[in-house]
Amino acid sequence: MHGKRGFLPVVSSVLGGLLLLAISANVSPCYGYFMDKQVDKVVNAWSRFDRFLSTFDPAGRYVRQPVERQVPALTFRGFLRQWSDIQLSGDRRIGNRQKDFRFSQMQNLLELELHYQVSPNIEITNINNFMYDSVYNWQDSAGLFAPRTSETFRAYHNFERIVRELYISYRTHNLDVVLGKQQIAWGKMDGQFIDVINGMDRRESVQLEASDYEWRRLPAWMANVTYFFGANSLNFLWIPNFEQDRNPVPGSPWYSPLASPRDTETKAILDGRQDATGDQFRETKRPSTGDFGDHQYGLRLDVSMEPLTWGLIYYYAWNKNPTSFIVDRDIDAAGDPYLIFQPRFTRLHHLGITADYASALSNMPLVGELPIVLRVEGLWTKDVPFADFDHQDRARDGYLNSGIIRRDTLRAAIALEFAFPGNTSAIIQPSLLYTFDWRRNLGGGFGGGIGDEMSLLPVMFIGRPFRFTRDRLRLELTVVPVISLPQKKWQGIKTKFVSSYRFSQFITGRLIYTAFSSGDRTDLYGQYNKWDNIGWELSYEF
Amino acid sequence: MNGRFFSLTVWALLSSLALPTAGAAEQNGDPRKTWKTVAELSETEKARLDLRVDTPRDTTIPYLPAEAYPFEPPYTAEEMGYRAMEFPHIARWSHAMADVFGAITSTGFLDEGITLAYSHYIPDEYGVPGQLSMAPGDAYFRMVFFYTYPPENQGLQDLWILRRTDKEETTKLDNFIYSPNLRRVRRQPQPRRDARFPNNVQTFDDVVGRDAWEFSWRLLGTDVLHETIRFPNTRPTVTLATPDGSFNEVPSDQIKMLGDTYPHYTEDGGVSCYVVEATRKEDWLPHYRMSRLIYWFDQHSFYPLRIEQYDNDNQLRMIEVRNAYLANPALEERGYAGLFTLYYDLALDLMSYSAHDAHWVKKWAPEDRETMFEPDFMRRSWLKYPLKSQSLVYSPEKFFLRPHLDLDKFPQDRNVTIPTELAHRYRLQEEAGHLVFDSSSPLIEVKAPQ
Repeated sequence: MHGKRGFLPVVSSVLGGLLLLAISANVSPCYGYFMDKQVDKVVNAWSRFDRFLSTFDPAGRYVRQPVERQVPALTFRGFLRQWSDIQLSGDRRIGNRQKDFRFSQMQNLLELELHYQVSPNIEITNINNFMYDSVYNWQDSAGLFAPRTSETFRAYHNFERIVRELYISYRTHNLDVVLGKQQIAWGKMDGQFIDVINGMDRRESVQLEASDYEWRRLPAWMANVTYFFGANSLNFLWIPNFEQDRNPVPGSPWYSPLASPRDTETKAILDGRQDATGDQFRETKRPSTGDFGDHQYGLRLDVSMEPLTWGLIYYYAWNKNPTSFIVDRDIDAAGDPYLIFQPRFTRLHHLGITADYASALSNMPLVGELPIVLRVEGLWTKDVPFADFDHQDRARDGYLNSGIIRRDTLRAAIALEFAFPGNTSAIIQPSLLYTFDWRRNLGGGFGGGIGDEMSLLPVMFIGRPFRFTRDRLRLELTVVPVISLPQKKWQGIKTKFVSSYRFSQFITGRLIYTAFSSGDRTDLYGQYNKWDNIGWELSYEF
Repeated sequence: MNGRFFSLTVWALLSSLALPTAGAAEQNGDPRKTWKTVAELSETEKARLDLRVDTPRDTTIPYLPAEAYPFEPPYTAEEMGYRAMEFPHIARWSHAMADVFGAITSTGFLDEGITLAYSHYIPDEYGVPGQLSMAPGDAYFRMVFFYTYPPENQGLQDLWILRRTDKEETTKLDNFIYSPNLRRVRRQPQPRRDARFPNNVQTFDDVVGRDAWEFSWRLLGTDVLHETIRFPNTRPTVTLATPDGSFNEVPSDQIKMLGDTYPHYTEDGGVSCYVVEATRKEDWLPHYRMSRLIYWFDQHSFYPLRIEQYDNDNQLRMIEVRNAYLANPALEERGYAGLFTLYYDLALDLMSYSAHDAHWVKKWAPEDRETMFEPDFMRRSWLKYPLKSQSLVYSPEKFFLRPHLDLDKFPQDRNVTIPTELAHRYRLQEEAGHLVFDSSSPLIEVKAPQ
């Protein structure tokens, strides 16, 4: 398998190279005067390369600018990104997974964004994504076979995924009307709280980051109308087109090791060599675009009362993940009972608030004035369906029921952001997921605690650029522990360390270390503690 | 010993590069000297000046001078400081412009951008009186910045709401950003007032201006400036835009310090300046990274053409130089606005610039005032008044020269220590007429002392 051997030397070389790059980028050529001539030559060569790179923009110069000159009403931009993660653990079986791959993603993404100004008030926007993930072809792995279930995991191959956004917008001072395929972001926290409008491609599971939502949201066809009055606005959404979440499927790198059956068995079923055993699942029933009663509606009010801004949201939506209802019971050839489930999407009512407030603390020790921002988001969801394993057991015993109970949930976060000296920013964001009237033996449900009554996620972030690199090097650390009560307690901790370097204003490189530590093997992060990885991103924007 | 000898050599070398022109020198009696200390001023010159430091105070706001704004001669140094508040980096009236900016490192790494800036000055009265008519804590200026270049920032927007401050109301800015990647308007903490923007020299206070009441003022003397912004010989022309979208190719050596219409140039094209020191008041600006500033104010409008910043060790850390012009003639001598501004960090040998192109004095329509300057407007990504600029530098070799160091001026009040390495680079620049990044350049001839 490619990438298995000599892993540490490769990582060392990459790190060493980047370090040398960072140091040499900041060695003034005039130091060379006092150095050996050879060093002088190297420094000057780097200096020349650095200058060349700072204005290196071939796609901008030879594609974007000529196109925009030919069609003045057209604005054209895009990026090309190589985005790879390499796992730090070797081959092993983990739970039901055959984890014999090192690269969990090797994505190549080309985005082309076009805006055509029809008139001062009317604009057409089109954003296209072309993605190819070579992990499935580049590695000879028994554990990676997701394209057999969904080709989208390997490449965007259809209109739905390639044409991410396509809409026409009409604007006046008081009114915005945007019609077409689009994505709406209602949240601005680390994590999703009121950001519930679009479905999400969750192929990266617990590694999905807020910074990637832009490319992982699944845009939907909708009408998005906003009325502005003074500093306030009222936003109305009508969404005929439903896009569900896309979770990791069997044979994808982040498919949960807790999910059964084993990979070998899944492949045997896919090959037709074996029949599925146990409970049976019918085809999922989806909302229909053609049925007016199946459409989704959203309403958002934003009010500005400086220095406080706040907003209220209501979203009559479909749950983004189907719920499996028991519809029948039967006996197999061995005489064991099994259940027949009908997965279908259920209606949810979401009510949310958002607020932020800015201030500055005076005369703080060491730092003097300390600017801060307080952000709050909360979402209360009514009648969320939860699988009830007690009810399922009773159904197996012959007392047929749906196997589902409904509970209200709350997910909320408070973030405090501080601006420290040296452009250092720090965020503390305690987050809560809570299930009202919770009881044991419940499965998962939207917005509720993770396998428990409540989950606490105190997110901590610190980041700063480094002056000695002229702010081209930036380091960020994010730590997310998960504590669930009253049952599971500690569920592990996720640590993410990002080092980003601006090679130029067009080219950026990032080195990312992600670790999932401690927690039990059945816990949210604990199950992925052999999925620690180092990733790199190289992005060229034009 | 050798090091000291070498430093002195470099000092002498740089002093020779910082020679004033002959015409100005003659004005001062000394063939090499353009500046005068207070003690050297003539009685005629002193007649326009009030050298008192302790002057009567305003009865309602004790940190303001008692004399009514905009003051009459003779001027105190403090009154000059108040008059210079008219001229922060961004013109203090409602307008739109294309703000072109960039930074370059000593190795020639160039970073540039363009943002379209829309500014709405809220008070009914223009200028400093307008700001003072607002209560502390109230907003007096709103600015929206719409980034159009480079591609990584395209669509990014900033909203700044400036507030009048005093000792109790210390929040100077409400700051919101709209990120196309985030797709939401997000409130940000205000930037630390003394912190440089990333990969730039200037701080937040350098951009929005400083309030005169936060400093103690003292007159150091007078000077005649002949050059502030310096274009390299590799950039003989500059393309400047007008709000209607047309472009003009302007020879860079014809861009004057205060524009073509300034009536007070000296015979040799210089601008007579008052040189004034502003020392930070500890009770107003505790923990501030800068101890004092020295301003070169033009003697008629009090436009700051050169500003030096000294750190808390009293070392010169930053030089800001400007070119301006009468952008808003209706305001007469208060209508000057910066065209080019260059910031130079001596410790990092880092320069950043800003060019305010296509300046368009605006009286915003009521519907614009009510919508465009609100946070929620940004998420509409609606560029209502597109302006264009072609004044990017584009190439490291065409970047502005480091400003004059003027090592000889006011030595008793200016502590300027230049590292030898920087002195070499400075000399290379002066000899070549443009920035020199490569140490193998044949221009390097300076030998280390034996």
